[in-house]
Amino acid sequence: MTVVRSFYPEVHLKTLLNEPGGIKVADAIDRAYDSLEEVRDQCLAAIDDKIAAIAAFAPDASPLVRRDCYQLSNEIFAEAGALGAPELSAVAFNLCEVLSADQTRVSAKIIGVHVDAMRVLRLPGAAASPGLRRAVLDELRRLGAWIGGDA
Amino acid sequence: MSKIEPDARINLSKAIVIIIDASQHSLDVTAQILKGFGVATMHRFSTLDEANKYLRQRQADMILIDPSVDHGAGYDFVNELRHSGTQNAFVPVILVSGHVHPSDVARARNTGSNFVVTKPLAPTVLLQRVMWVAKDKRPFVEAGAYIGPDRRFKFEGPPIGSDGRRRDDLKTPLGDANEANLSIDELDALIKPQRVAL
Repeated sequence: MTVVRSFYPEVHLKTLLNEPGGIKVADAIDRAYDSLEEVRDQCLAAIDDKIAAIAAFAPDASPLVRRDCYQLSNEIFAEAGALGAPELSAVAFNLCEVLSADQTRVSAKIIGVHVDAMRVLRLPGAAASPGLRRAVLDELRRLGAWIGGDA
Repeated sequence: MSKIEPDARINLSKAIVIIIDASQHSLDVTAQILKGFGVATMHRFSTLDEANKYLRQRQADMILIDPSVDHGAGYDFVNELRHSGTQNAFVPVILVSGHVHPSDVARARNTGSNFVVTKPLAPTVLLQRVMWVAKDKRPFVEAGAYIGPDRRFKFEGPPIGSDGRRRDDLKTPLGDANEANLSIDELDALIKPQRVAL
């Protein structure tokens, strides 16, 4: 039988959190969204660079390159989602799923489809059109299923 | 997970928060959100070596770490921190994870972190988790290789068919009810207001 020791460490964060002063929770959340706007443009520019890097990697399907593609698409998934670009985030997430699943079925074609979808979603026209963004996602799913079945 | 009260107040102005993430822009996103929460002191690290150097010498109040940093070494980092015996061994740790390989789900659970938050980060969710972690009433447990908060959020007794591992685990099953359930009329009668003569 495993010996279990149970204890309560002091959590300094709790003391700090309850100190007088501070800000209202609603204000904290509003300020966080405002604060995110300060880095929005530079993060979106970096996302464009990451999409370009994945596109450059795509023809090489070696495990090391796929690992780098996975890392980059994981970053796009996280950053685009936090910056209010859920469709772009969803495409990147899908690419992560593809790259982390059965490696033998990953082809340059599948990666290329995701890269194209992400590029379309970064066009100024897509930002202004929820319908177009949804259509890109739907088309990606359809193409992904077709290529996946065809590979 | 309880909702947070919008009129409640928080004070994170003196908290020292460590953010560890391989992506510079993810560090930016997390830092900007924390800045909005009023955190004044943040230390950002994109490698575990840098973070380790800091944590060996300085106190932190909370750590937010993407476990995929250094090709997945973030999981072991938290585990080693819990075993380190240092001033920061039991500091609240939130795993902030992006897409996770299925094989890493169990690793995340066994690191000894206080909570897992999935990316993309949303300010409301992150603040909710930070407040929850600060007020977490679960004890830390040291059991075999695991040191961290009790992973059981609700104590529902030992697993069926086992005697349990805790001194206060009940050794015998409670068994079925030995009387019929109360009827709705009987329940109503228990709470029916009645006039009393004083």
